[in-house]
Amino acid sequence: MGLYQKISRGREFLQEILKILYYYRGRVIFSFAGVALGILSICVIITTIDGANKKAKDIFEVLGPDSIMVWGGGERQRTARTRGSTLTLADAESLDSIEGVYDSVKTYYARRPTMKYKDRKWQSRIIGSTTNYFESMSWDLQAGSPFSTDDYKYARAVTVIGSKVYDELFQGEDAIGKVILAGRLPMTVVGVLKERGGGTGGAQIDDRVIMPLTTVMSRVVNDKKYLSGVRLKTNRDVNETVADVKAVLRRNHGLQGSAEDDFTIRSSQDIMKFVTVISGQLLLFLGMASIVALVVSGFVLANLFYLTIQERRKDIGIRRAYGASRRGILLSFLLESVIITLLGGIAGILLSLALGGTFETLFDIPMLFSYKVVVFSLMFSFLTGLIAGFRPALKASRIEPIEAIRG
Amino acid sequence: MITLRNIKKSYFIGERELPILKGIDLEIRSGEFVVLMGVSGSGKTTLMNIVGLLDKQTEGEYRFMDVFINGLDDERLASMRNLHIGFVFQQFFLLPYLNAIENVLIPIVYSSKDIKHPREKSKALLSRFGLAERVYNKPSQLSGGEQQRVAIARALINEPDLILADEPTGALDSKTGGEIMDLFRILNDEGKTVIVVTHDPKLASFGKRLIRIEDGTISEDITR
Repeated sequence: MGLYQKISRGREFLQEILKILYYYRGRVIFSFAGVALGILSICVIITTIDGANKKAKDIFEVLGPDSIMVWGGGERQRTARTRGSTLTLADAESLDSIEGVYDSVKTYYARRPTMKYKDRKWQSRIIGSTTNYFESMSWDLQAGSPFSTDDYKYARAVTVIGSKVYDELFQGEDAIGKVILAGRLPMTVVGVLKERGGGTGGAQIDDRVIMPLTTVMSRVVNDKKYLSGVRLKTNRDVNETVADVKAVLRRNHGLQGSAEDDFTIRSSQDIMKFVTVISGQLLLFLGMASIVALVVSGFVLANLFYLTIQERRKDIGIRRAYGASRRGILLSFLLESVIITLLGGIAGILLSLALGGTFETLFDIPMLFSYKVVVFSLMFSFLTGLIAGFRPALKASRIEPIEAIRG
Repeated sequence: MITLRNIKKSYFIGERELPILKGIDLEIRSGEFVVLMGVSGSGKTTLMNIVGLLDKQTEGEYRFMDVFINGLDDERLASMRNLHIGFVFQQFFLLPYLNAIENVLIPIVYSSKDIKHPREKSKALLSRFGLAERVYNKPSQLSGGEQQRVAIARALINEPDLILADEPTGALDSKTGGEIMDLFRILNDEGKTVIVVTHDPKLASFGKRLIRIEDGTISEDITR
């Protein structure tokens, strides 16, 4: 109780501390900046990890937990662009007969030609797929309808366009039945997809043009044999189905013994795992960076404080003479230190908000800002201030008034 | 108000005992104006520190405001200083980052007394001491005499029973010093107990009671 009695004028007390901080701003700024940087990286970690998890969850939701993706090309060929064409239409058809597979979407990722409607132009990716594409991706249309089995069978030049493409080419006009040029191929719009959006990947999700696989293979790319990928859905155990898919493809491709797969299989669970690993690495790297920043700024703060106390002996002495107890002095120095780090923390949070967009585009990882970030950051800054300020504050509280006043 | 019984204070330098106060018996009643005089090294400052609850005696008994001081802990001592004593020092000791009003408010921060409208009160005290135009000035913008008057206002803000001034005129020219002493006399006339510690014989005439310290003992105690 004594402590609170000693500092019964909270407002005056705080005002004085703020004045002190302003007076010593030249030194305070270093600790402040250090903490701000540390908290900035903590904010980036948390928001990025949250964002990555959200992205993974979105993928999971779109694909469903029972999905298996198969691409041509082995694990070593990292990107889709360099993956060899090894997956054939025949392969895809033989996968359909695996036990438990109840849905199969075959896709061909074609080039990105310039689409034209009237005088408007937009470059977008052409994807050839089967008629069940929309249902399987649970992707509704905002206008028109999916292409029909007849469209598919006769390889008609029809298309369902993504909302981004619609916005760019039609700008709100009615698109159904209109003819657009994809490169030099005229095709009729039969449907417009609803916007799926959200996050960074979102703009790309809506920026696509879907045509019957048959049309793409015969009239866009002139490749009747190979596919880019197949997406399967199974009602059996996912891992068992994956094993079967692998066995069928290896047999089809004549791979024996220790020969490497020339295809890649990913289940939804794999994607989740992948994102988790990425998050883990981020946490490790940025976590170390932010802890180093906080520890360094803590040291800087502690040392500057230590020096300052020597200079402020008279200040402390006069306060003690006028009724500050040791604990009162301890508390006021701790508060000073904590206020510096909390202000640094707030600056770090604001900085991360400001820089958030830059990070997003730089690393292509969406950031998800939440109250959790604020709570974590403020907690860390508070602790830094408390720990760094403790020893100097203790030293300050042990200064005897008569020594200080005598000089 | 103040009762000292056989107060002794020694410092130890290694094994050697260095006695500063050699048995002081003293009684100071409420409303007195005491000038405590002694040459440097006589023990007058040590005595003031003990009376002001800033230091503890090695031996003897001290009663202040009817409270036995022996054995009080740091919290209680701090609280007693805050409630009952207003200090004035030779070097003023104003805090450089606070303006005059805020410097005067320092004791309020640690006070459990319910002082109403402290800022207005601080301003009023400063105005009373002729500093109405200076209330927002920092110490560096004030003359020595002005700084000491701010310090006296600070000593008064918490309505203490005792004003304890250690060489309050030591850093001032004799004219300004005289003005400061006049101020103490007015405060004493209003009922405050004032103790001024000094080595300067010229100040002897200001007090109602003169106590002379020599070599750690009271050599003279005259009440006019």
